[in-house]
Amino acid sequence: MTNSKKEFLRGGRAITPILIGIMPFSVVFGYAMKNAGLTGIQSSFFALSLLAGASQLAAVQLYAAHTPAFIIIVTALVINLRYAMYSLSLQPILKQRSFVKRLFAAFIMSDQSYAFTMSEGENNPGNRFLPSFFLGASLVLYCSWQAGIFLGYNLGTIIPERLSLDFAIPLVFMSLLIPHLKGRDRQISALAGAVAAVILVPRFPLQSGLLISIFIGIGSGMAYRTFQETWMRDNR
Amino acid sequence: MNYYLLFAIIAISSLVVKGLFLCFIPLRKVTPFFEKILRYIPPAALAALVVPSLVYSKGSAGIAISFPRILAGTIAFLVALKSRNIFVTIVSGMILLWIFSFAIHF
Repeated sequence: MTNSKKEFLRGGRAITPILIGIMPFSVVFGYAMKNAGLTGIQSSFFALSLLAGASQLAAVQLYAAHTPAFIIIVTALVINLRYAMYSLSLQPILKQRSFVKRLFAAFIMSDQSYAFTMSEGENNPGNRFLPSFFLGASLVLYCSWQAGIFLGYNLGTIIPERLSLDFAIPLVFMSLLIPHLKGRDRQISALAGAVAAVILVPRFPLQSGLLISIFIGIGSGMAYRTFQETWMRDNR
Repeated sequence: MNYYLLFAIIAISSLVVKGLFLCFIPLRKVTPFFEKILRYIPPAALAALVVPSLVYSKGSAGIAISFPRILAGTIAFLVALKSRNIFVTIVSGMILLWIFSFAIHF
């Protein structure tokens, strides 16, 4: 077996333990698409054409609430901006690959496969086959993600509405939120976003309250950070 | 807007963002300001997505404050903090919601 094949398999194996964590997320996403009234073909189209779970789940929720297209698009893009940072740090790893391969790498990149690849790069700095490792990890995640969506969509056809399974959607976002609460500045940012959303979401037209609340949260975190830095400098 | 057109635009524009520096803009570094913004997007966006769905429920009469959701959501948040496990969080949150909804209609 060539080294690149070996690394491909190693990457795939490395990511399997967290599939247990991804599965409920994808099942809830599949269920949400069914609940939003999307047909099987429409759901498959959205599931297969993009791998960016949090933004997709949010987009489907907004779509179900009859939100205007441009607000759905902007909200999804804001949530996905973090991937731009990932693509920046993947640059040196993939710099010798063709444009098409790099674009494919961007397509199948996920939070998890990115994180595993970066830590593999840290642990084995001499690993020349990191792109194969990344590809293996990403493909395993992509395939199991699709399987979970398929399962969730079909569950949606048999689960009665009075079980309020829509409540699983905020629970998914909640689990995703926890790791981002490190640091007082980020807690402030989350708190401001949350308070703004509770006030604005029911009051603003066309679901624009969510987007405005996200900006308020970001602004509050930045303001707190700036205040903190200035204060610390003045008190040294 | 047509469903396929809308979701194709989301897929393509998100792909451009995902590959922004890998395929389209060969920058080596971003400005500290941009980096700062990125630091706060996940906490702000996720919190703004979570909390309204924990406070309000959509019924036939429009949006209403739901106490079972607030209670179940608050406890589920503590479970999420402690367990850091998405499956445990979903299961406990759902069971709590069913219990509290049942109790309020009892």
